[in-house]
Amino acid sequence: MNNPILQLKKLTKTFSKGKVKALNEISFSLSKGKILALVGESGSGKTTLIRIITGLETQNNGSVVFKNNILSSNKIFIEPEKRNIGMVFQEYALFPHFTVFDNIAFGISKNKKERVTEVLDLVALEGFEKRFPHELSGGQQQRVALARALAPKPELLILDEPFSNLDVILRQQLRSDIKEILKKTNTTAIFVTHDIKDALKISDEILVLQKGNLLQYGNTDEVFKNPNCEYVSLLFDAYKI
Amino acid sequence: MKQILLKILRDSNKWSIILLTIVLFVSIPILSIAINALNGPGESWDHIVHNMLPNYLKNSFWLVFGTSMLTLFFGISSAWIVSRYQIPFAKQLQWLLILPLAIPSYITAYAYAGFFDYAGFFEKITGLRVDIMNIYGLIFILSISLYPYVFVASRAFFVNQSNNIIEASKILGASERKTFFKLILPLARPAFIGGLILVIMEVLNDYGAAKYYGINTFTTGVFRAWFSLEEPETAIYLSVILLVTILLFIILEKKQRKNTAYFNSVKNHTEVRKLELSKKWRYILLFVAILPFLLGFIIPLLQLLFWAFLTYKDVFTTSFFTIALQSLSISLVSAVCTVSFALIFIYASKWNRLQFLKSFEKIGVLGYAIPGAVIAVGILIPSLFLDKSIVMFFKNNLDIKIGFLINGTVLILIYAFIIRYLAVAYSPIEASSLKLNNTLVDASKLLGKSNVFTFFKIELPILKPAILSGCILVFVDVMKELPLTLILKPYHINTLAVKAYEYASDELIAEAALPSLFIILTGILPIVFLNRLISKS
Repeated sequence: MNNPILQLKKLTKTFSKGKVKALNEISFSLSKGKILALVGESGSGKTTLIRIITGLETQNNGSVVFKNNILSSNKIFIEPEKRNIGMVFQEYALFPHFTVFDNIAFGISKNKKERVTEVLDLVALEGFEKRFPHELSGGQQQRVALARALAPKPELLILDEPFSNLDVILRQQLRSDIKEILKKTNTTAIFVTHDIKDALKISDEILVLQKGNLLQYGNTDEVFKNPNCEYVSLLFDAYKI
Repeated sequence: MKQILLKILRDSNKWSIILLTIVLFVSIPILSIAINALNGPGESWDHIVHNMLPNYLKNSFWLVFGTSMLTLFFGISSAWIVSRYQIPFAKQLQWLLILPLAIPSYITAYAYAGFFDYAGFFEKITGLRVDIMNIYGLIFILSISLYPYVFVASRAFFVNQSNNIIEASKILGASERKTFFKLILPLARPAFIGGLILVIMEVLNDYGAAKYYGINTFTTGVFRAWFSLEEPETAIYLSVILLVTILLFIILEKKQRKNTAYFNSVKNHTEVRKLELSKKWRYILLFVAILPFLLGFIIPLLQLLFWAFLTYKDVFTTSFFTIALQSLSISLVSAVCTVSFALIFIYASKWNRLQFLKSFEKIGVLGYAIPGAVIAVGILIPSLFLDKSIVMFFKNNLDIKIGFLINGTVLILIYAFIIRYLAVAYSPIEASSLKLNNTLVDASKLLGKSNVFTFFKIELPILKPAILSGCILVFVDVMKELPLTLILKPYHINTLAVKAYEYASDELIAEAALPSLFIILTGILPIVFLNRLISKS
């Protein structure tokens, strides 16, 4: 793989004093500008994996390398706030006591006004600066969350089940909007979902997890056409129907 | 082994060191008692074992047993009545029944001593004389002072209890009595035992009431060994026995907590429907529910008001104001320090990444279970040692004579209050911080902000009510505190609690009323305020 921005090497994570294996020697590399869909059912290890990449969790073994720098290994740990990795949370996690402007400006240190206007423009929410999160619809909150994550220009953006709280129509709309925004800003992204339809529509690459094991990883079209096991095949069957 | 060491090095940060320092800071009294216990007991130990220990054991046992029974009766019956039946003033009773907590048990003890005294109100009204200055009287006093712990815990359970269970029982033909005794009471057991453990700890901590009623308990024994016999070693030995007893109760409470799962598993809650009663039963149950409030709050309050009316001209002097001001300042500073300390403790534990250190967190809440007298002894020993070492150092190396720098200062008193009441501030703040949506914190960190910045900008505004609650609770507790203050307070500083105790000890019981009323007032206002805060939230 050319110029990988993110590399995971034999990442292992256990819980309950080693009794529960959440991740089992996961390794993969992601190139700059690519969108990776991380697919798996509940309990497959998706959330644990992204929490380790962001530094919100530590692994038991293995390492995370970002732009050729080790972010975490058995010896090294870089704090989440120093990693320049952004994230859009499933529940949006907008600060309830801040306005839209303050939420988006939270992670920016210079030229706040210009940058907030720029990202609000990007997510089509011009004029919403003074509103509070509770004054926005679900879709608008999602867009603010995306704008906030994009504002500090992260080198990797993680989107954790961003559509799970939205209705079908809004979901379709946002799906294409987000893909367009990510491509326009050339942002490398990991898109976490249990919905194969979302994964196929948005991603360049796909990684399937089951019970902490990596089942298949590759170009989305190739994986779709050539699933390497029954589980992956069944995942796509649901979409074909 | 090398791998483990590497991971410890990887995961340790400045918060791990801060957490360890706090744990050490909080453990000093227990550690000093444990270490000094190894030096053996004092000269009077044999005498105490043969002549006094059986008495301490017997009295402490009967106090714990009797108070437990009576608090269970008062607490559960009133909680069930206000939760289950339509009685007059049910809404007001929900918080009126908590008010006895605002009166320290030693003040209730003084008030009742006067109420039942020769020519007291009781004799004037009934013509009868009752001697209350004995162990049965003390059990009664402690019960009417402490039943709110059981009341609050039981009521919380009864209110959240699913109505489906009661209805299912009724459909199966069970009577109201059978439903209560066979279903509700066994289900509520974990809830009210939680409250009961707090009662037991308060009984074992009591000094003022037991001393005034002349009942020898472990806590009065610690005082006697320290002050009368002047044998710290013996005080330490008694403290160890008391500590072990308390630890047994803590283990018991933990065990019973594990059983709470079954009453939380009730799904589809429907509020308990209140039953209508005939007029006769409505007033009978109102009387049963209101009785603990009358006994625990109204009667002592009236007695104190009467005394205050008689003595206010002598007591309400400039020195009273000075003492009140000192009391308020010490309580306020202690409350702010304890809450700040609790916050640092909670967040150091959260931000520290070494998992095994997180288990030390519970040491912070141990202080509330340890009687004030034991904490005081545990602090005095190392601080005296430190002070003597400093004095010797200055004398030997610099030829300068200095006095004690730590002992006899407000600093040591506030340190003791922090240890004793850390759990009081810790619990509401920790509960709120656990409820706080963690993704908000994660979001802030991933936007490049540090732990401390995230705390001040995101968490603190949301935690404000819990921090305020913690502050108020510690403030009230420090205002009421007696045994620890008696041992550690600087000689030139006084508190209202100590002043009331001194008046009562000098047979000037009526004069104790005014400082007592002031303590009660500072206790009631925060309870009303907290009640509003909880209702709002």
